Amino acid sequence: MLAVKLAIKNLFGAGLRTFLNVFILSVAYVVIIMQNGIIQGWNKQARHDTIEWEYGQGQYRYETYDPYDPFTYEDAHGTIPDKLLPSFEKGNIAAVLVSQATIYPEGRLKTIMLKGINAAQKVVALPTNKLVAENDEIPAIIGSRMAVDIDVNIGDFVLVRWRDANGMFDAVEVKITGVFRTNVPAIDAGQIWIPLKTMQSMIGTEKEATLIIVKDETDRELDLEGWDFWDHSELLADMDKMIKGKSIGNAVMYLILLALAMLAIFDTQVLSIFRRQKEIGTFIAMGMTRRQVIGVFTIEGTMHAIMALVIGALWGIPLLLKLKQVGFKMPEGVDQMGLPISETIIPAYSVALVLGTIILVTITTAIVSYMPARKIAKMNPNDAIRGKIQ
Amino acid sequence: MKNGTIITIDNLVKRFPIGGGHFTALEDINLKIETGEFTGLVGPSGSGKTTMLNIIGSLDNPSEGDVIVMDTSMRGISAKRASTLRKQHLGFIFQTYNLMQVYTVYENVEFPLLLLKMTSSGRKKAVLNALEWVGLTDKIKSKPKQLSGGESQRVAIARAMVKRPQMVLADEPTANLDAENSHHILRTMEKLNKELNTTFLFATHDDKVIKYMRRIIRLEDGKVVADNLVKN
Repeated sequence: MLAVKLAIKNLFGAGLRTFLNVFILSVAYVVIIMQNGIIQGWNKQARHDTIEWEYGQGQYRYETYDPYDPFTYEDAHGTIPDKLLPSFEKGNIAAVLVSQATIYPEGRLKTIMLKGINAAQKVVALPTNKLVAENDEIPAIIGSRMAVDIDVNIGDFVLVRWRDANGMFDAVEVKITGVFRTNVPAIDAGQIWIPLKTMQSMIGTEKEATLIIVKDETDRELDLEGWDFWDHSELLADMDKMIKGKSIGNAVMYLILLALAMLAIFDTQVLSIFRRQKEIGTFIAMGMTRRQVIGVFTIEGTMHAIMALVIGALWGIPLLLKLKQVGFKMPEGVDQMGLPISETIIPAYSVALVLGTIILVTITTAIVSYMPARKIAKMNPNDAIRGKIQ
Repeated sequence: MKNGTIITIDNLVKRFPIGGGHFTALEDINLKIETGEFTGLVGPSGSGKTTMLNIIGSLDNPSEGDVIVMDTSMRGISAKRASTLRKQHLGFIFQTYNLMQVYTVYENVEFPLLLLKMTSSGRKKAVLNALEWVGLTDKIKSKPKQLSGGESQRVAIARAMVKRPQMVLADEPTANLDAENSHHILRTMEKLNKELNTTFLFATHDDKVIKYMRRIIRLEDGKVVADNLVKN
């Protein structure tokens, strides 16, 4: 208690020097929480959007299907299992048939993924209600990235050439009936979505699908021959890895910031111990042990972190709350990078993040404060009393 | 310890390493100092008076021989025992006052009592008493930088005396003071010595101080060359 009282007195006594250190440290607090909040917010949003638009509550994939190997697409399809047909009829299952195809935007050849999906599905957020044919035309929906890429709008026709199950090439024009905007590029870039039935008859794979997205708990993890169930932990593993990589990159940034703040505190401690050697000698002469004096200086340094917490809270909480309200606007074109990022990320500040940051900064400050204070143990009190230590 | 020997020095030798060899600061000192003395260690710079004061104050150790202060040997004394001795029984007064600049006069004087974990009310009473002894009750809230040299040293005296130590060690207490302030300080210490029976041991070469001493131990080149009682 005495050490804390002394520390507070000395910190306030040091005036502007203390304020500058405390302010820099408060910036470290706020930036660490803000950056991690953005990463956590992005993580939350990316998981939410990917589940909502692409993965539902899990997927059955035909056993030979590998989304990263287009050569598997031709044979990777099987009959929708009978056990899932009741849910399929109710729209609680989205069956997707995948095939490679070619389109010719502005006379150029472009390879795409043609995907058939049941229009009545209620599993993913794709606007499949726009896939209901009004006449002989084949309706198709595409994402906004794809629309920009091939320069088409609603009402335009796109010529699609594909190879059926027998290896025969055929071509047809599809009419764009909807352009959807999504944060999930994996269902947008290079893809055209058409009705499942139309696609099945085009390919010659009646009642078949490549993957089946489920909505209800009861449809999950059934033992279906030829089909493998993928849950969220498997489906989102790549994204988790990518976000973790991003977190490490950000950690480097805030460690640099923290290091700057710590350098300032280290310098202050060294200067303080040098300038206050008479005081140190006097403490010892009055009966304090060296260990107690080291404790006083360590607590004094660590108090920077406590004061920074208060100052950081004063200006940081309003800033972080405002950011949570308006979100963090991502730079133009970031959605073209293949990452599931919305235009505005809403940061998520968890209790673990805030407490973790406080503990990290406080412990680091305590260590940095203790290191120069150890010098006191080697001081000759007689020289210290007379301020003779160089 | 109302009366009796407070310090016994037996064949004290103190050497400091210098380069490859060593410098002998004190050589073969034998002394006894009684409770309630007002004694000066007198001599020119480098004679060893501050070194002796530091050993008596448990801030340094003897190289040979022994110094016994209040039944505690300074030879191989542990850091903890030494700090307890200083905290409970010794008061220090320094040439440069060594007041803590960020504290008020009151807080500076209160500090030794905080180390003794005295109650708040006990501290307040003791601090006000100590400041009354030195005539500074009107400066309670002042900071050291607002005080003159004489006032600062009086605060240092109050700080040394507030815990009613058995002995006060004063190293050149008037070196930075003018004649008037020096006399004021010494009269204050003399009064406390008589009223509280506190032993005062000075290291000084200032004639103004020396004439207040009741015993003068003269040191030269680390040796006691004279030890005289003075009749005032």
